[in-house]
Amino acid sequence: MCLAIPMRIVAIDGFLARCEARGVEREVSLFLMQETDLAPGDHVMVHVGYAIQKISEADAAEAWALYDEMLETLDGEAGAPRA
Amino acid sequence: MPRRSAQAWLDALHALPPPPRFRIMNVCGGHERAISRAGLRSLMPAGIELIPGPGCPVCVCPEEDIHQAIQLALHEEVILVAFGDMLRVPVNVPRSRPRSLEAARAAGADVRPIASPRDALRMARAEPDREVVFFAAGFETTMAPVAAMVLEGLPNNLSLLLSGRRTWPAVAMLLETGETAFDALVAPGHVSAVMGPEEWDFVATDHGLPVAVAGFESASLLAAFHAVLRQRSAGAARRENTYPEVVRPGGNPGARRCLETAFEIVDGNWRGIGTIPESGYALRPAFAAHDARRRFPEHAAPDRRRAGEMPAGCDCARVVLGRIYPDQCRLYGRACQPRHPVGPCMVSDEGACRIWWSSGVRQTEVANAEKTPSTL
Repeated sequence: MCLAIPMRIVAIDGFLARCEARGVEREVSLFLMQETDLAPGDHVMVHVGYAIQKISEADAAEAWALYDEMLETLDGEAGAPRA
Repeated sequence: MPRRSAQAWLDALHALPPPPRFRIMNVCGGHERAISRAGLRSLMPAGIELIPGPGCPVCVCPEEDIHQAIQLALHEEVILVAFGDMLRVPVNVPRSRPRSLEAARAAGADVRPIASPRDALRMARAEPDREVVFFAAGFETTMAPVAAMVLEGLPNNLSLLLSGRRTWPAVAMLLETGETAFDALVAPGHVSAVMGPEEWDFVATDHGLPVAVAGFESASLLAAFHAVLRQRSAGAARRENTYPEVVRPGGNPGARRCLETAFEIVDGNWRGIGTIPESGYALRPAFAAHDARRRFPEHAAPDRRRAGEMPAGCDCARVVLGRIYPDQCRLYGRACQPRHPVGPCMVSDEGACRIWWSSGVRQTEVANAEKTPSTL
């Protein structure tokens, strides 16, 4: 439920950002990040379509290694991961 | 500071003086999944037990709320949307009637799984002539996005059936009632990313137990186990944070402000457990027009609170409380499997039973009284 994945911000338009991870682009809300400075190129943890925290590029890369593992697990089951 | 590897943390853990018995509880399905998947239990020094506690918002979602969602879907011209793993959670009604949202859908109701509150917004905007009800369960991490959705402005045809819960009051209840015995807590990473790690200080300051906020990699979890065991060895208790890359002091103040603006804190009923003070969310009066409970009052069924325990024979409540391990339930792997779940803990991806089953635990260790977590 509380799974969050790291994504890179590609572009920002108001409270919405286009974010990318592993070649997949998603629209992500930045509404919860109003007290944080964000710019294209920054990385954020995304939970159910909303950025919940800013992280460094190095930490994003590390988190992705874990997420790949979890995706493998979840792919074998009925539930889909929530990004 | 370079981070230590999982192996280095494991070595450090084994280098500490071994305790006679040290029970570490987690309250996060993501933690339990990471622990089970990596097989961390079998790598622990003798005496250390890892107990899954109340870490699954779907598992504790009140039966009367699910019942209400099913009735809404069946009897009103609504589109009922909910996070996917809510759809298969059973309620206690005769088999002749729809026992889950999925069964309601099979009976013709318009029930749709969503992955984001933004999906609910999209659906409401796409079909302005239809009522959309978003049945929203979740802990703080998920309720913050729901709050954001509310504050950004809801279309008139979108209402919320809120079943969100806060995690720390459940831990406080366990500690205050002595309901479950544990010696240390690993606190949830993404709840803390939103709310701040300070929410867990009370475990150390009020109850004298070691507590560490952890992330979801083995290294972070092992670092947290090491932190709480080291505190125990030193005879001290404080709150540590082994997930600093995401969990900052104060959490995410913008997200906390959204939660405070959209919701008020109310007492919350936890399925099979009962009411826990200040553990629930309700829409503030300014947003009452979007409260599905007000919009469709005829489907509230307060009398269900008595009927609404866990299904008969199901030990989910004791699993959620960390009083027994999943495979100590008599139904685990027998009557209750992911393909035909009896209780919510076998339905949700965050449920301890489902996680243990997915990790390959079958019925091998049932009813071993010696390993019951709450045995003193």
